[in-house]
Amino acid sequence: MAILEIKHVSKFFGGLSANSDVSFEMVPGMVMGLIGPNGAGKTTLFNCITGYYPPSRGEILFDGHRMNGLHPDAVCKLGMARTWQKVRPLAKMSVVDNVMVGALCRTNSLKKARVVAMEKIHVVGLENRVNFLAGSLPIGERKKLEVARVLATLPKLLLLDEVMGGLNPAESEEIIQLILDIKNLGITQMVIEHDMKAIMRISDRIVVLNSGEKLAEGNPQEIVSNKAVVDAYLGGE
Amino acid sequence: MRSFMHNMRGMSTLPVLLTVVAVVALFLIPNFVESTYALHIMILIFISVIMGLGWNILGGYTGQYSVGHAAYFGVGAYTTIILMQYRHIAPWYGVWAGIVVAVAIGLIIGSICFRLRGPYFVLASIAVAEIFRVTALNLKNLTNGAEGILITDIPPFKIGDVVITDFMSKVPFYYIGLVTLIIAIIVTWLLQNSKLGYYFQAIREDQDAAHSLGINLTFYKNVALSFSVVFTSLAGSIYGLYVGFIDPSTVLALDLSVQIVMICIIGGIGTIFGPVIGAVVLVPFSEALRSNMIAQAVIDSGLVNENSGFGFFLKEQLSHAHVLVYGILLVVVILYMPDGILGFIRKKLLAKRRKEAI
Amino acid sequence: MVPPSHPHGLTRFHVRECPIHDLLLIKYRGIMSVFFQSMISGILIGGVYALIGIGLTIIFGVMRIINFAHGDLLMIGMYMTYFLFALFHIDPFVSIIVTIPLMFLFGAFLQKVFINRVLGALPQNQILLTIGMGLVMSNAIMLAFTSDYKILSTTYSSASFNIFGISISSPLLISFAITIAITVALYWFLYRTDTGQAVRATAQDREAAQLMGINVKRMSIIAFGLGASLAGTAGALISPTYYIFPQVGSVFTLKAFVITVLGGMGSIVGATLGGVIIGIAESVGGVYFGSGWKDVIVFILFLLVLLFKPSGLLGTSKD
Repeated sequence: MAILEIKHVSKFFGGLSANSDVSFEMVPGMVMGLIGPNGAGKTTLFNCITGYYPPSRGEILFDGHRMNGLHPDAVCKLGMARTWQKVRPLAKMSVVDNVMVGALCRTNSLKKARVVAMEKIHVVGLENRVNFLAGSLPIGERKKLEVARVLATLPKLLLLDEVMGGLNPAESEEIIQLILDIKNLGITQMVIEHDMKAIMRISDRIVVLNSGEKLAEGNPQEIVSNKAVVDAYLGGE
Repeated sequence: MRSFMHNMRGMSTLPVLLTVVAVVALFLIPNFVESTYALHIMILIFISVIMGLGWNILGGYTGQYSVGHAAYFGVGAYTTIILMQYRHIAPWYGVWAGIVVAVAIGLIIGSICFRLRGPYFVLASIAVAEIFRVTALNLKNLTNGAEGILITDIPPFKIGDVVITDFMSKVPFYYIGLVTLIIAIIVTWLLQNSKLGYYFQAIREDQDAAHSLGINLTFYKNVALSFSVVFTSLAGSIYGLYVGFIDPSTVLALDLSVQIVMICIIGGIGTIFGPVIGAVVLVPFSEALRSNMIAQAVIDSGLVNENSGFGFFLKEQLSHAHVLVYGILLVVVILYMPDGILGFIRKKLLAKRRKEAI
Repeated sequence: MVPPSHPHGLTRFHVRECPIHDLLLIKYRGIMSVFFQSMISGILIGGVYALIGIGLTIIFGVMRIINFAHGDLLMIGMYMTYFLFALFHIDPFVSIIVTIPLMFLFGAFLQKVFINRVLGALPQNQILLTIGMGLVMSNAIMLAFTSDYKILSTTYSSASFNIFGISISSPLLISFAITIAITVALYWFLYRTDTGQAVRATAQDREAAQLMGINVKRMSIIAFGLGASLAGTAGALISPTYYIFPQVGSVFTLKAFVITVLGGMGSIVGATLGGVIIGIAESVGGVYFGSGWKDVIVFILFLLVLLFKPSGLLGTSKD
């Protein structure tokens, strides 16, 4: 049974169609890569899915629930969580407090939240930074913090928006491992990424967007040998 | 806030002990101190701290800077005093009415204004407070307009047949202020170490991120607002009863809203003791100015000849200068110590800790 | 702080408090002419409001700072004009030749010494800084000159003349004419000179302007200087018809915000329109709801705009 169904989703901003009739499905436990040139509508789709704005047309179903028009906090409570392209640490709070905010989504007890938070901090490898102010972390650790925080909300589906953006190869490798670890925990993931090699390694399936439309869908091999995809990246913009 | 607590953990018994000693001392002061003026200053400090703590919950912790909190101060004061003066309802019931009215109004205002961000929220809060002030000026049948309401007398507080106090001296107000203050500090501390506290701070740090982590922004902002309004309105009621006279230009004025913000900014936004420090700095200073103590001290010290033009100027005018000093203080603090006195100290401590960690 | 309530009859003090609708209440009956009269008066004062709004919107556009001391800059313009008149007998409408550049310099000074330091700070702190500056200005003036109301009365302060049966206050008309002249000059500066266009470019997109080689620091100084100059000039223009006292600024600050938010923060045309609309709303509202409530009307309008169209009539919601 599909965990996420995107059915003919379109999003218009005034005259601009940022997403146009996009459809695909995700099954539990998979990692889906969402790729496409800049401006293809990837983040817009994320924002529609997670409730920042409702889609102009189409339906979004999560575990059978209709998500159209739900607010971001309700979306999170239902089990779908996202990270941000431009990281958003809660700067004046410590690392553990940051992750606890995520954990408090599922419990009212600070004690229990702390336990969950420490666990997720271990998963991402930020044990050395537990009491540091989030604002003082370098970018690589901020990205990890964001993942830990979002994991603490105990999601069924995790949406990662360019979580490797701005990282050096060593840091990117850590993130790739992290994504695979999260997969082993049974959490479904949708990953927006520009790093092709990384996407190839982590994705079970890939959806390609271009100019708001779905250009192609398939496993990594199929996508890499798809002429239209290659053209979209190399030709045109 | 956790990091601050961690700093303190190494010496956690000392602050607790100090606080207990301070509280006991404060309770005993009226037994030893004769000067009614000193009591007066303490009462004003207490009221200021309560106002500051109230604002702090919404502004310091949740990041919603209202520069219109005089609205709640004034509503609390007016409700309590109107009920007492015109309906003969005892103030120990009246303050609750004041709180209820103020919270109801706050929730209405909140639901309208909380969708506004940053500076626009500030502007809206100011506009709302001004609407209240002008309304109070115009609804003369209710509030007596610009003339204000003068309290004729407060009914004595009795338990059974025993008169506890007749409110004739400053001492009952001292204890009322002190107890309310302690309650406010405890509530703030409890909030800080609860899920609410974490959520408030998350909203302050990054609203959209907080939203995406399952936090219902409007709901939690309104919760913060409610706590904030309760204390602000209480401060207003106590002030009205203590001073015995209220009018729109004192309890609903923009000046007052700015003062409330300043108490928190100077002390340190988003901390429990920030408003305490802010009030302890601002109140005596402004009273000293107002009562010409400073002018007199400058003259007495010989720096300025009492009969010179400048001396005359000091004596006449400095008492009006306290708002000017507020303004200068505000400018200086924003430019050089935006995190307030406590924030300044904290930064130094953290820098030290970071150095030790490396 | 509240001007003394006025006696009935058209006295000089009558003109002081509410020049707009008191004139008409006494002089004219007839619902239509009352309405029309208040419209005209509203437009006239709206011109001055527009100047205040344009100044504020330029400051916001270029520096993204909400200048809470704007009304106090207007107040300083009033005092400047008053003393030029009282000491040197220079007519207020003539002395703007001095007021405009002096206020510009003052504004530039304030920007360089104070505002510049908080350009990167939290917006709330920026607002608090300008609030503090406003407090310092109004209270310094109060300390220096006491809070006694000062009155600048010229020979034509209470004069009015008739057009088609409608009475128009002479000083208001002259100030409107000057306002138009200044606005035209301002538009010419902003749209036809290099510096002016650079200012507009910075207001539209600070980073892009910087990339194009525009010295945005200089633009900020110019913007604040312009804003102060316009506010001070507005003060000068209304000084023959308003009481002059240190706290007069705060009401104008709030009104300036309503005007700029209504017209769209950062939009000069919007502020112009907004000024006129607020002038009319205040004037007409004052007639039909009473002068005590006219400020409330403006604030309620403000809240409505903030809630339903926060980007204003013509603004670009680039927040």
